[in-house]
Amino acid sequence: MTKQERRKAALIFAVIALVFMLGAILAGGSSGEEETIQQVMRDAVLHDINKVSLFGLEVNPGLMAGVIVSGILIVFALICRIFFIPKFTMVPGKFQLVLETVVGLFDNMAKGNSKINGFLGAYIFAAGSYIFTGTLFELFGVQAVTTEGLSISLPAPLSDINGAIMMGCLSYLVIMSGGIAGNGVKGIGKTLKEYSLPISLSFRLFGALLSGALVTELVYYYSSLSYVVPVLVGVLFTLLHALIQAYVLTMLTSLFYGQVSDNTPKPPKEKKRRKDKKIINKAETAQSEETAAA
Amino acid sequence: MTGIPLNIDWQQILLHLFNFTILFGALYILLYKPVRDFMAKRTAYYADMDSRAADALKEAESNRDAYDEKVRSFDEEIRAEKAKMNKEISDQRDHQLAQAKTDAEKIISDAKAEAEREKDEIIASAQKEIAGMVTDAMEKLTLEQSASDAFDQFLDAAEEK
Repeated sequence: MTKQERRKAALIFAVIALVFMLGAILAGGSSGEEETIQQVMRDAVLHDINKVSLFGLEVNPGLMAGVIVSGILIVFALICRIFFIPKFTMVPGKFQLVLETVVGLFDNMAKGNSKINGFLGAYIFAAGSYIFTGTLFELFGVQAVTTEGLSISLPAPLSDINGAIMMGCLSYLVIMSGGIAGNGVKGIGKTLKEYSLPISLSFRLFGALLSGALVTELVYYYSSLSYVVPVLVGVLFTLLHALIQAYVLTMLTSLFYGQVSDNTPKPPKEKKRRKDKKIINKAETAQSEETAAA
Repeated sequence: MTGIPLNIDWQQILLHLFNFTILFGALYILLYKPVRDFMAKRTAYYADMDSRAADALKEAESNRDAYDEKVRSFDEEIRAEKAKMNKEISDQRDHQLAQAKTDAEKIISDAKAEAEREKDEIIASAQKEIAGMVTDAMEKLTLEQSASDAFDQFLDAAEEK
């Protein structure tokens, strides 16, 4: 492409952007703001106004988003399984490298934290993929119709408190299963010691994703904020916290899993060791006295 | 489910759980396990290749050791052979020297004997010649005396007659 052609393309792009912006400004007066920002944000937290219908059930939009995200992931996995995995080569291509890196990341995370890691690796892979894709899903603003006939954009599945609780509690159960696998009944006790874990895991996820959702809602609510700002807020922040949250939950799960499944005997306590040392010293003194007497 | 803060709904939690369980199963079967198996297969492949290379290296090292050993043994052999040859040469030289000495002595003794013999022969022939010469001389003398005597006798006889 010559310099002149590039300049021409840039000009066309600028004109199109300007047209869109003008259109948005002109249409700004009747943007269909049927809810106030307070209502929108309250609904994002409590999910008590906008419900969607899922197979006849009235559910939060987050659940529908979760189902769609799962569908996307399953279809992607199916495509990979049918078209790409059979063609894997010993020297990987670009796509194979990406898949192997992602699987290897979670597999190594599990191996690095626990000796019993077969199930843990698979779980954190699924959880990480779900959190990451689910959070990114928010970016696309997939539209759904509420039971009241309003149009809403589907949020991240885990910005729904129910989704976050499910993920937190399931992670806790997985950690407990690791405890049982590694230490038997003692492992349950070890896991129960971390009783605050399901709550902290759930609400950490919920808080992080909800804050993202709230900021996005806030930004998109006002048309004046809908230029340039969403590039940062919508793309960068979402991408960043998708990565961070996926990493945090998987890392915490594997850390606690490793901790409760660890069955190596603890070294004797310092006090006991000191006591042992004293006994040894006493025995040595007695022996040396005996030798001297002899 | 009223009364639970933040509108937590157990049914929806279970639905989320159901959804995630299906996702987990599908991702495990379709993506995680095959990719991990392939990675394990490749690790095994390269480990095998590595072990084969290590074996080959070990074999090469053992071959090199054997070669070194052989070279060392050849050196030893060459040294031993050289020493043997040197000894043989030395023995041969000694033998030859001894032989030469013996030959020389023999030659000398033979020469001496020959010289002695020749001397004796010469002396004998000289003696013989001298004897002959003496005999001849004597004969000559004798003949000369007898001829004159005979003549004298003849003359005497003739005179008597």
